[in-house]
Amino acid sequence: MTDHDQPTDWGSTLAFLTLRLWLGSRALLTGIEKFADTRTLTIPLLDADGNPDASGAMVEVQEKFYALSNYHAVPSSLADSLAREPLLPGFLVSPFYAILGWVLILVGLTLIIGVFNRISLAIMGGIYIALTAGLILIKQDGGVSWLAIHIGLIAAALVLSKYNRFSVTRS
Amino acid sequence: MNDPFDHLAAGLDRRRFLQLVSAAGLGLLSSGGLWGAEPSAQTPGSRTPSETFDIAIVGLGAQGRILLEAIQKIPTVRVVAICDIWEYSSTYVQRLLKKSDILVNVYEDHRTMLEKEKTLTAVIVATPDFWHAPVTNDCLSAGLHVYCEKMMSNTLEGARSMVAAMRKSGKLLQIGHQRRSNPRYIVARNRIVRGDAKALGRITAINGQWNRAAGTDFGWPAKATMKPDHLAKYGFKDMHQFRNWRWFKDLGGGPLSDLGAHQIDIYNWFLDAYPTRVMASGGADYYQNHEWFDNAMVIYEYQTADGPVRAFYQVQTTTSAGGGYFEQFMGIDGSLKMSENPKITALYHEAAGKSWDDLLRSNVVVANKAAPAPADTAKVDARETAALASYQIPVVMSKAIHQPHLENFFDSIRGRTKLTCPADEALRSEIAVFKAIEAVETKNPVICKPEDFIV
Ligand SMILES: NC(=O)c1ccc[n+]([C@@H]2O[C@H](COP(=O)([O-])OP(=O)(O)OC[C@H]3O[C@@H](n4cnc5c(N)ncnc54)[C@H](O)[C@@H]3O)[C@@H](O)[C@H]2O)c1
Repeated sequence: MTDHDQPTDWGSTLAFLTLRLWLGSRALLTGIEKFADTRTLTIPLLDADGNPDASGAMVEVQEKFYALSNYHAVPSSLADSLAREPLLPGFLVSPFYAILGWVLILVGLTLIIGVFNRISLAIMGGIYIALTAGLILIKQDGGVSWLAIHIGLIAAALVLSKYNRFSVTRS
Repeated sequence: MNDPFDHLAAGLDRRRFLQLVSAAGLGLLSSGGLWGAEPSAQTPGSRTPSETFDIAIVGLGAQGRILLEAIQKIPTVRVVAICDIWEYSSTYVQRLLKKSDILVNVYEDHRTMLEKEKTLTAVIVATPDFWHAPVTNDCLSAGLHVYCEKMMSNTLEGARSMVAAMRKSGKLLQIGHQRRSNPRYIVARNRIVRGDAKALGRITAINGQWNRAAGTDFGWPAKATMKPDHLAKYGFKDMHQFRNWRWFKDLGGGPLSDLGAHQIDIYNWFLDAYPTRVMASGGADYYQNHEWFDNAMVIYEYQTADGPVRAFYQVQTTTSAGGGYFEQFMGIDGSLKMSENPKITALYHEAAGKSWDDLLRSNVVVANKAAPAPADTAKVDARETAALASYQIPVVMSKAIHQPHLENFFDSIRGRTKLTCPADEALRSEIAVFKAIEAVETKNPVICKPEDFIV
């Protein structure tokens, strides 16, 4: 029998679509957040009509903003711990950090749009395996379990990828 | 007990005040208009001065210098004269100003200064409390606006004479309760405690304190010792009394007046009410050479539009325990701990309190990061209330704490705004302080009738 002859398995198709969109969003937003930071702004306090408060008070507010210069692959506390690990040499870690955010954004976009789904899932799996290795070394068991959930979802998506529809490419 | 002058019998010196006032050439106490209802001088006088105007400072001790420092950051006033009975103080300040190329005329007696200085628009008074009324009243009579430090006077009649002089002269009299111009306090009062938000809900209790570690009395450099006749001319017995005037009943009002006046003013201002009854206990328990008590604990009762409020206030000058100085307003929806020190200020939302979403959206408050939940083993009582969500008031002030109050005074003179602490308003608040002192001294509860606060 060929694929053609089989009726569409809508349950599996929707399961893959759900996983693809979830993992795509997860990767895309995680990548974008690596370019986020907060800054403190001092602005006039406004009254109910939107005019400066009669007291002339200035308030400090925190504002989240995105910029290429904010890029940080992993939180600095985590980076510091990983830097102390002899099994994670700098010549491997530095390039990984340099591309991590960009690759997550790219993989996220391809999964959401639906191009190169399998290869995107495989790359995402590779990233999470690499991160898991780092967390195992610094004994962050909670983080390892957390990543294991992602790995499970990626594996499930790969298994279900044959039910791929609503995609630009079939791969 | 209900006569506002009763406490004079308990030690505040009426005769001394009268001597000083008449020595200053002021017949105000005998003038028929003293207790009359002249219009409040909150509105600026007839002559609106130009953008930059001349001022003088009388009293150049610790506070006079702090005010001077703040004034130097305000480019629209010129300090042209300074006055202090202690050459040591005036020389110090004169030299300080000279470093900034500011040349001032120096006077020992404020009356000479008023005779000679003809360009003045306003005077800042930072003398010991018992000199406030004579100096302020002379300046007002000379047609000058006055910024006078708190406590208005060490006697109620001295303070009342200042309101009368203000009304008679039509000039402005700002009292140095500087929290009233502090934007953080204004926002807390108008946008959190009062106004449409009433974010704390009905306030049922207040707790406040100013606790300072025990210290030693102020000394003076031997070369700066003043002659006994010079000291006597200005009302001081000796150098120790001159330097430590706060602790003497003829000269100052003790710690409830010195420290408490600021905070009790905040109770009244935030509640928009005056106490109905006060109980208090205090004593000179530690310092042997002070006339005023060094510690006092006061309970005020208020009847506000929203219901009764009980307010505790303590001033301790023998221990800094209990977290410094603050005024904490406790309502059914939340509580606000105000302090002139922003680090002590704290705001808590009751778990079942009404939503503060509007306050958050409009940046009046910001949420602090949630504290981790306590471990079950740390709980001592199964009925313990959950930890309160904590917030901050994000108002920032890049100025010295007295600067906005001085700016408000100067801008009011220019007719651009109204005083935040005009003498009549300040007096109503300070009457509550006099009542607490009376309660300490008589060891009896003191009833405060609404008419006691008519000024
Ligand atoms: N608003 C505040 O936060 C605050 C803080 C501290 C003091 N104060 C007030 O400021 C005033 C001064 O307090 P301080 O701590 O500077 O006292 P201080 O003793 O350090 O200084 C008082 C100065 O006034 C001078 N003086 C005394 N009699 C005078 C007179 N008749 N004419 C001219 N000068 C005279 C003294 O020589 C001295 O230099 C007090 O009323 C006090 O309550 C207010």
